[in-house]
Amino acid sequence: MSDNIEKYMKCFMEAFPVGKDDLDGLKYQDIPEWDSIGHMNLVAALEEEFGIEMEIDDITDISDFHKGKEVLLRYEIAV
Amino acid sequence: MEDRQLQNFDINGIKQCQQNRHPILFLDKVIDVDPGRCATGIKAFSYNEWFFPAHYEDEPSVPGFILVETMVQTFIMTFLSLPEHKGSKTNFLNLTNGSFRRQIIPGDTLMIKATLESLKRGIARGRANASVGEEFACAAEFVVSIRSATDAIFKKMREKHP
Repeated sequence: MSDNIEKYMKCFMEAFPVGKDDLDGLKYQDIPEWDSIGHMNLVAALEEEFGIEMEIDDITDISDFHKGKEVLLRYEIAV
Repeated sequence: MEDRQLQNFDINGIKQCQQNRHPILFLDKVIDVDPGRCATGIKAFSYNEWFFPAHYEDEPSVPGFILVETMVQTFIMTFLSLPEHKGSKTNFLNLTNGSFRRQIIPGDTLMIKATLESLKRGIARGRANASVGEEFACAAEFVVSIRSATDAIFKKMREKHP
């Protein structure tokens, strides 16, 4: 497993009370903690972990665990 | 070395920066403010505080949540002292590594040193460390949002993901 996917999963697990097994298929608003505030926690974790600053359109495109990987590709980060 | 002018805020100055008001505004003054970087809050606790008779009747001490609020009120002064954010409302996003090591009792003056580590897109991250005299009292790390800055993102989230 690549280093980036480990980092990526860590961001989700920092932002939300979830484990690795919960991540696949996890969607925005699936759990109470992934609300708009929780979303900003996730974004902050991703930005810090990968050293990027996302555009608002990209931030709001992260609708689920997999979509977030697509968004990171826009910043040339392959997860 | 960069010459930066430090600012001091009395209670009226604090009220211009943040929206907290009595009985939830706990700071007496904020000194040595380097906007966008750091601030030092001062709070003198007397037995006149509304919570002392209730916490506890026979052994008054400042409740932990008030220490947290006092620390975060100092922390938000690190960025609400910036002209573009002055007077904004804020929301707690995260509180971590809270540490409480000393009871604060009537007569104690708490000095809170807060540092802003980052401020991006209305999300502020940083820490505060409080002491009474030379004695460490409490500390915590905070993530706080500036509502006026984050509302646009939240609105867009609602539109994209109703």
